[in-house]
Amino acid sequence: MRHAYGRREVLRGLQLDLRPGVLAGIVGENGAGKSTLLKILSGELRPQCGTVRHGDRFGYCPQDVVVNDALTVRQHLELFRVARGLSDLRHAGEVMEVLRLSEYADERAGQLSGGTRQKLNLTLALMHDPQVLLLDEPYQGFDWETYQRFWDLAARLRDAGRSVLVVSHLAYDAERLDELWRLQGGVLHPATAVSA
Amino acid sequence: MRRHLRLYVTAARFDLVEHARNRLAMVLVALFIPSWISLAYAVIPSRPVAFRLRATGRLLAPAGDQITQITGAINAVTLITGFMMFAVTFSGGRFDRRLAMAGYPRIHLVLAKTTSLTLASGTIAAYATAVICTAWSPRQPVQLAAALFCGAMTYGALGVVFGSLLRREVEGMFALVMTSLVDVGLQNPLASGGTKSAAVQFLPTYGTMQAATAAGFTHTPLPSGLAVQILWFAGAALLGLLAFHRRTKDALTTRPPLRLPWPPRHRQPAPPGRATSTPR
Repeated sequence: MRHAYGRREVLRGLQLDLRPGVLAGIVGENGAGKSTLLKILSGELRPQCGTVRHGDRFGYCPQDVVVNDALTVRQHLELFRVARGLSDLRHAGEVMEVLRLSEYADERAGQLSGGTRQKLNLTLALMHDPQVLLLDEPYQGFDWETYQRFWDLAARLRDAGRSVLVVSHLAYDAERLDELWRLQGGVLHPATAVSA
Repeated sequence: MRRHLRLYVTAARFDLVEHARNRLAMVLVALFIPSWISLAYAVIPSRPVAFRLRATGRLLAPAGDQITQITGAINAVTLITGFMMFAVTFSGGRFDRRLAMAGYPRIHLVLAKTTSLTLASGTIAAYATAVICTAWSPRQPVQLAAALFCGAMTYGALGVVFGSLLRREVEGMFALVMTSLVDVGLQNPLASGGTKSAAVQFLPTYGTMQAATAAGFTHTPLPSGLAVQILWFAGAALLGLLAFHRRTKDALTTRPPLRLPWPPRHRQPAPPGRATSTPR
């Protein structure tokens, strides 16, 4: 796919094939086009050239926290449960337990700390147990313990056959990933370096 | 059918919760409406203001404080609903998109927003009419409330349009206030003396002003005024709907727009890079 903002070409022709049971990462400098790539993969943005195909349901965690400040955590879950036609919130409950979000169920999103808002942002992306996970800087604002739990969760999902794609400007956790690519010059290159 | 009902009821419920938690709007409803309407009555002299009501051609001479209460009420209800809808549209645009992309049908979201706008407009219009009725007795209070309701709905829809198109909160508030200032200011009989200019017919609350004035000081029903206002609401709502549709569309499920068969190139394109993952 290719994409440009005005005269600035951000993606210059890349192909990405994400298979089941893989925990993959994409790193790149600020402005390299990582978020643009994820927006295209999630359907938020249409590429100027190219197509995206998802084999099954997917979950997308945007880089910015996209929640409604007036609603509580529980109300968010109810709204997205109805949106996704889920019969219960069992899986959402499991994710919340892992991220230690359950204790904030009745708090309004606007009153949560930055890290807790990000936990909600992530839970909304994972609550329907998607086959493909697209996560844009998913651990922003997490404390160290939550950060570790996030990676444990990502590994569990990978082991359960889910495809997980994590996009970040840093590659500190390259050893946790099955595959790592660097987005540079609008194309993807295989990468193994520890820092981007 | 039950699924549609559940989708609609859930969206409407949380939409109303969001409005109810807009504290500034609640304070404005509770305090600004009675304060503004009562001040207009207390401060403006009661001597008659003669002007011709355009819709009926009839010469009216209502008390200055009473006609100012009506224009003040129009001003207050339209600004409050405009502000309420602008606030939720502006802050909730990306959230609506996330919901729509998660599978929430947009038609249910739109119906829910229309329901909360209707309930808010109805409540505020009834409240403003009741406040006016404590000072004097309009000839047709039901028509007065209906006129205020239609004006409030119109500005609510304009709030959605501004909330969808403008990028900064202050721009939206400025746009709403300036629109109302020009709209109500040019029509105010106290200022314009019932101007003969045909331009006022194209102002956003022309229908409301005509119907509300007729309701205050005549026994003549004026459905045409309400009809004009409903047309304004329909136009603004259509614009709001288009903006909402554009903001919440999913690029994976909608057809691409007509484009050149090649991408814009300003430099030598890189060869396509291929990244293929392999399962563990």
